[in-house]
Amino acid sequence: MWDSAEGFFGSYYIYWISVFLFIGYGASLLTLYLSGILLARRSIKRTKQRSIFLRAEDIVSATDIPSVTVIAPAYNEGLTIIENVKSLLSIQYPYYELILVNDGSKDDSLQKLIEEFDLEQQDATFITQPIPTASVNHIYKSRKKKYTHLTVIDKNNGGKADSINAGVNFATTELVIFTDVDCIIEQDAILKMVRPYLEEDDKEIIGCGGGIGIANDSIIKNGILTELRLPERLVPMNQVVEYIRAFLLGRMAWSEVNGLMLISGAFGMYPRKRVIDVGGFNPNTVGEDLELCIRLRKFMEEKKIPYKVVYLPETLCWTEAPSDYNILIRQRDRWARGLWETISLHKDLFLNRKYRKMGLLYYPYWLFFEFGAPIVEFMGVICIIAFGLLGWINWPFAILLFFAAYLVGCVFSTIAIFMYVKSFDHYTKPKQIVELLLAAYLEPFYYHPLLLFGQIKGYYKKLFDITSGWGNMTRKGFKVNKS
Amino acid sequence: MNEATILYFIAVVFVVLVIYWVSIAVSLIYRKRRTSRLQKIETTFADIVSRYLYNDPKNPMTLTDITRTLRDVGIKAQNKNNIQYLIRLMIRTQRTIVGSNFDKLQKLYTQIPPYGVSIKKISSWSWYRKARGIREIYEMNQSQYFDEIFKYRNDRNIYVRREAQIALVVFLGWESLRFLPYLKRNMTLWQQIKIVEKLYDLYPTPELKWLHRAYRTDKLFAIKLLMRIIRKYELHAEIGYIVDHLNHENYEVRETAIYCIQTFAVSSSTMEYIKNLYDDIPDATQQGQLLYYIYENSDIDLDFYLRQLYGDNEDLKLSIAEILWNNGYKEKVQEFYYQQYPNSVLNVG
Repeated sequence: MWDSAEGFFGSYYIYWISVFLFIGYGASLLTLYLSGILLARRSIKRTKQRSIFLRAEDIVSATDIPSVTVIAPAYNEGLTIIENVKSLLSIQYPYYELILVNDGSKDDSLQKLIEEFDLEQQDATFITQPIPTASVNHIYKSRKKKYTHLTVIDKNNGGKADSINAGVNFATTELVIFTDVDCIIEQDAILKMVRPYLEEDDKEIIGCGGGIGIANDSIIKNGILTELRLPERLVPMNQVVEYIRAFLLGRMAWSEVNGLMLISGAFGMYPRKRVIDVGGFNPNTVGEDLELCIRLRKFMEEKKIPYKVVYLPETLCWTEAPSDYNILIRQRDRWARGLWETISLHKDLFLNRKYRKMGLLYYPYWLFFEFGAPIVEFMGVICIIAFGLLGWINWPFAILLFFAAYLVGCVFSTIAIFMYVKSFDHYTKPKQIVELLLAAYLEPFYYHPLLLFGQIKGYYKKLFDITSGWGNMTRKGFKVNKS
Repeated sequence: MNEATILYFIAVVFVVLVIYWVSIAVSLIYRKRRTSRLQKIETTFADIVSRYLYNDPKNPMTLTDITRTLRDVGIKAQNKNNIQYLIRLMIRTQRTIVGSNFDKLQKLYTQIPPYGVSIKKISSWSWYRKARGIREIYEMNQSQYFDEIFKYRNDRNIYVRREAQIALVVFLGWESLRFLPYLKRNMTLWQQIKIVEKLYDLYPTPELKWLHRAYRTDKLFAIKLLMRIIRKYELHAEIGYIVDHLNHENYEVRETAIYCIQTFAVSSSTMEYIKNLYDDIPDATQQGQLLYYIYENSDIDLDFYLRQLYGDNEDLKLSIAEILWNNGYKEKVQEFYYQQYPNSVLNVG
């Protein structure tokens, strides 16, 4: 039919199909984002109103509240492990346990922990393992009274998902929180996270997530974020805007319609019973957080138990974002592979009426707009180059269209920043707001192409079966104020 | 679509962008002003309360002074947000004061503005305002509005009925339990916790006749609430109610029963009864929790543990083996594990 690339791109049909595909895709995305803003606005308002009737200070003094275990896997974190564990130990919650899982670190992490927290070995002969994991070598508990809520599990290397599963096996509490050991969790984060469980009515809460913020270049003292600053470099600064947009608009909107398919692996709470019911995290995917959430939802749908996955708009966990483009690309490459793996693992969901809205709406959204977006964008770039070379593009019109699309993107970022400023007092200085806005407006020229490159790289690896693991995520570390 | 249409679209989007820039600026300015206003109201109110409670005879503070001072900092009928903030301060202050000063403060609250704000909220169509109104009424102990609140105990909105039910407990105490069998809608965990806390704080002496009347209920949330009350008040004579629900068909009722029983030490005959119920619990995790309770609160019953070890519940065998191993029955554990493998595999005999 087409004897050359020129013939293919020059075809009347291909031209019009591409035009309608891109316009249709863009218009659908625009509609979804606009609906997202309205839903997120409603969700944030309702969450705020509800929180008036259940304040963190009421929960802290109450008895009978559910007990919670925070599970943090660590692999070769020797440099910062002591500071990080102290930070996690300082979280305020009356019935709180911390399980640190040393995933076969090759550095001196374990030795440092033993010395600092005066750990003693416990008998690990009779540990029940409802979820199979790599073998556990030893369990450690602290001899110091102030650290009685700390348990360290030393196990053979099995990856992040495997380590969390080991933590779930050992936990005895009703609820478990999964986090990364280097995250700074807000002091009252658990008090806020248990709210949905305390208010659980006719629908079981199977997962709860909280906002995650970027704390590069911020000041940390005694494991607590004492001064939130904007990152000095553009790459993490862009991620601040990206996270605000994703958590405040995206996740809150999906939460409002009970359509959340992802609770971030950096900070999420689940009922331990349900995690065990579904066999814990899947260690064979790098997108284990998304995969677990989808599997949990599928399980509830199959059992026909009414359920809810909720998100809290407040930023409850601070993390360090990749500070340069190399690390960022590696991170997005991994996320893209995780998405690919999860989407293909659960392809039976697609338009499957058995799973109701999850099969008919939420999964197709993820397939077309989360998984499909980089592909469509990449195809768009190719089409522009090809049609441009063929002289088929009306450049003045195309430039105007591009500018219009750019402005629409700026409006979405600005709305997200406005909603954040209005709801929270993290960034209150005019200078900070201006910097955030500028970063958002520069995003399409500098940051977004990097994301696209990372995502396409991830898909390429999956397409051609190129083996790749988590990749090395070098971090600069927070600014620690020891005074 | 032509260039002119796109240009028009760009102009519209740009206007929207400018509107949001202005909104951000206004939001920043408003926040700054609001914070300083609220600080002013808080400082003024703290000053009023301290001067009223510890009045200086040489420079007494009159009600007229108080009303004028509050008005000067923005407590006016038209400033609803300021009034709402003042109410929050009043409730917060009241919670921290006891004894004669508490009575004095209650008297002060009846004499100063805002007047009748909370009861007006109850007739609002918004669930949020309604629930807040009910909450303020019971927090400020305005029992004269009890009848108004009572009708909301089965409201469709979870927050409205929760606040109304808590108000019932605040105003009626133990007697409020008699309504428990007649509540139509579910009660969340927080609702149960809050009711127990309020009852315990305001009515520390148990009135068992109301508790016994409430036993007639078959509502799952009510059963859980009653067990929590028994636990909180440590009513040893009522343990039977908790024990009877250890093998309830509902997972959450069993969970609450297992949680509540852990507060109590029981007689050996009750423990035997609990051991008999143990096999009826259909969930391995809950069996594990009860096993731990039995182990912690009774002497080693070898027959019971061996029955479990050789039973069908694979999930708990390790825990049972651990108990036996740590209590001098290593050979029983070894015997159990060895008999699982044929001699040829073990390379013995």
